Amino acid sequence: MAFRSSLAIAVRALGRNRLQTSLTIVGMTIGVAAVLAMIAIGTGAEAAIGDQIRAAGMNLIVVTAGNYKVKSTDDFGGGAVEPSAALGLPDPLWRRALSLVEPTLVAHPEDDPMEKHDHPTARQRLGDSEAGLGSAATLTSADADAIRRIRGVQYVAEGLHQNVHVAADAKRWFTRLHGTDLQLPLIRRAWTFPNGRFFSAREQSRAEQVVVLGAVAAERLFGGENPAGRSVSIWKQPFRVVGVVTTASWMVAPAPGDDQFDAVYIPFTTVHRLLNLTKLNDITITAASTGEVSRIMNDVTMLLRARHRITDETPDDFTVTTQARQALAKGGLRPDVARAVVGNVSGLDKVTLEQLGKTLDRATRTMTALLAGIAAVSLLVGGIGIMNIMLLSVTERTREIGVRRAVGARARDVRSQFVLEAMTLSVTGGVAGVCLGLVVASGLSRYLHWSTTISPGAVVVSVSVAAAVGIFFGWYPARQAARLDPIQSLRYE
Amino acid sequence: MAAVPLIAVRDLEKTYAMDGPPVHALCGVTLAIQRGEFVAVVGPSGSGKSTLMHILGCLDRPTSGTYHLDARDVSRLSDDDLSAIRNRQIGFVFQGFNLLARTSALENVELPLLYAHRNRIAPAERRVRALRALGAVGLADRASHFPNQLSGGQQQRVAIARALLNDPAILLADEPTGNLDSRTSIEIMEIFQRLNAQRGITIVLITHEPQVAAYASRIIQIIDGRLVTDLANASHRAAAAELAGGGHG
Ligand SMILES: Nc1ncnc2c1ncn2[C@@H]1O[C@H](COP(=O)(O)OP(=O)(O)O)[C@@H](O)[C@H]1O
Ligand SMILES: [Mg+2]
Repeated sequence: MAFRSSLAIAVRALGRNRLQTSLTIVGMTIGVAAVLAMIAIGTGAEAAIGDQIRAAGMNLIVVTAGNYKVKSTDDFGGGAVEPSAALGLPDPLWRRALSLVEPTLVAHPEDDPMEKHDHPTARQRLGDSEAGLGSAATLTSADADAIRRIRGVQYVAEGLHQNVHVAADAKRWFTRLHGTDLQLPLIRRAWTFPNGRFFSAREQSRAEQVVVLGAVAAERLFGGENPAGRSVSIWKQPFRVVGVVTTASWMVAPAPGDDQFDAVYIPFTTVHRLLNLTKLNDITITAASTGEVSRIMNDVTMLLRARHRITDETPDDFTVTTQARQALAKGGLRPDVARAVVGNVSGLDKVTLEQLGKTLDRATRTMTALLAGIAAVSLLVGGIGIMNIMLLSVTERTREIGVRRAVGARARDVRSQFVLEAMTLSVTGGVAGVCLGLVVASGLSRYLHWSTTISPGAVVVSVSVAAAVGIFFGWYPARQAARLDPIQSLRYE
Repeated sequence: MAAVPLIAVRDLEKTYAMDGPPVHALCGVTLAIQRGEFVAVVGPSGSGKSTLMHILGCLDRPTSGTYHLDARDVSRLSDDDLSAIRNRQIGFVFQGFNLLARTSALENVELPLLYAHRNRIAPAERRVRALRALGAVGLADRASHFPNQLSGGQQQRVAIARALLNDPAILLADEPTGNLDSRTSIEIMEIFQRLNAQRGITIVLITHEPQVAAYASRIIQIIDGRLVTDLANASHRAAAAELAGGGHG
């Protein structure tokens, strides 16, 4: 039997029961739309994570004081950091360099410069390096300002890092202090301020004693209370809390020990004033366009070599890297989570964003599969709806089946006709479902700001699955129809 | 008599044993029908006429006995082969017309061509042939009507057109006038007589009404599944003449 006439028969037969047909199609539509929307959300999340990872890794440039060699050659860096033995630097010097590169490793109360110690404190040591004992503290805020003028540079933030005791009333919390620039929140795009704000240009230029608390530090010091406007003491100096910072990213959970939110932020000018310093530990830069990162890295290197009067023969006294360890360490990703997701990787510092991205991709794919699986249940319900209407149809059209058999339809002709009818229902529902799914997905992106992605492949798969559902659930009723005895069907009232 | 009858059944038995005691619908029917005959099968209700017609029409198989259709033993053919025989060699006309609802007269008539697997026919050609068949029963102007827009007699004529579409050798009619008034019945009989005379189509007409059977040229009587009389009806009624002369009341 020609396909077109079979299709015409199917459509006509379905047209006789408009309401039932429509309801059945609606069932299918919802199922397919649900599957498509879930896939869209899942793949959208995958893409968003990829974007975030890439964005975090790719337009971020960090200039660190001192020089060290990155063993890894991959673009994302993050390989083991090794002291530059080739430069023949004396022992204390490379240790200094290393401590600046991995400031989290230096976590000791002795860094509180206001404490009395029987050995050199952090401040004294920093002073030492400024006095010429090391080449590590080489960057200045003048360097940062010069970098600001490079074409294609988006944001620049000076960085000074210390471990400090922060005290609020009776509570004390040992945490990380970042002296930084007011542009840092623009670099850390996922930051939000549940209370207050970041410090202002005025506060920075006047080197005021203002502090922004990371969410963890705020929680430890003030519990559930709003710390904005309260006072804390750092280095036995009073500081006014202007805000609390946390993250809007679901990828990151603030936790004790992380570098971003178990931390406090004060203007780097204030650090300079109180500790009588002029140097910086690092400068964080973002490129306006990821494509320009290499060029800007080059420009920064040239600029700083010129400014530091470094000749062709001498090595740099600074290091320019993209992304890598800083982004990960300061990304606020819980180290335990990071370690869990990367499984057998022993050291967090060895986890590149690339690896992390792959792991998260895997996780989202699992989530996509789960969501699609749940949505598939509604597809199953749609399929059962088709089976129901087809069984009903076989009963209602028993006489018609008898007539067709009498004029020469084979059992298999009857069967294929009913399968085709079921497929007509499911594919119509499938196509409508794709349309609905597209609408739902775009609605989710527009109004809930979820990232969704619908690939042509997902559309093809959805319609194919719908057709398959039609065949699967239409098969049994069609077989029943084909098995009817022609005479019994002709006599059927 | 011609050498090979078109229909030859021997010792045909049909026993229904669904639930309860077995019903012997046919108990040893032996019968030969030649090409071009117009045979009426009469008998009271429940005597086994329809059962016989279903077997002759390859819709059903006998419990025992043989059936040769055009010298071919059909009792052992597969379901698909029987479907093909129904499609090409047999046309059915039923008491209840059995047209597909909400389907135009034309499309109803086309139906057998949809299942003509051995020689596929293009849709345009199907239309032409269906229209020609409708013309033969005088309904060319009703091609696009749905069954519920047609009278009983018109519906039965559509059914006859459908039965004729594949130029079958045999037309099997089971109480074709059972739902019609006597005037319309004569019209149907006129068509049958014309098809029989002009095209040489073999007609087996099943009826319980003797006055309808009187249009056939041979009358077979069945009672309780047994063939009791088998008589030639040389002085059969002529429907065309009756219609022309004002006919019956
Ligand atoms: N499918 C069936 N199951 C059981 N008995 C049947 C079936 N079909 C017909 N019969 C019985 O067979 C006998 C003959 O039926 P049928 O051929 O329809 O008679 P007629 O057409 O002469 O009125 C009847 O007694 C009827 O009840
Ligand atoms: Mg009967």
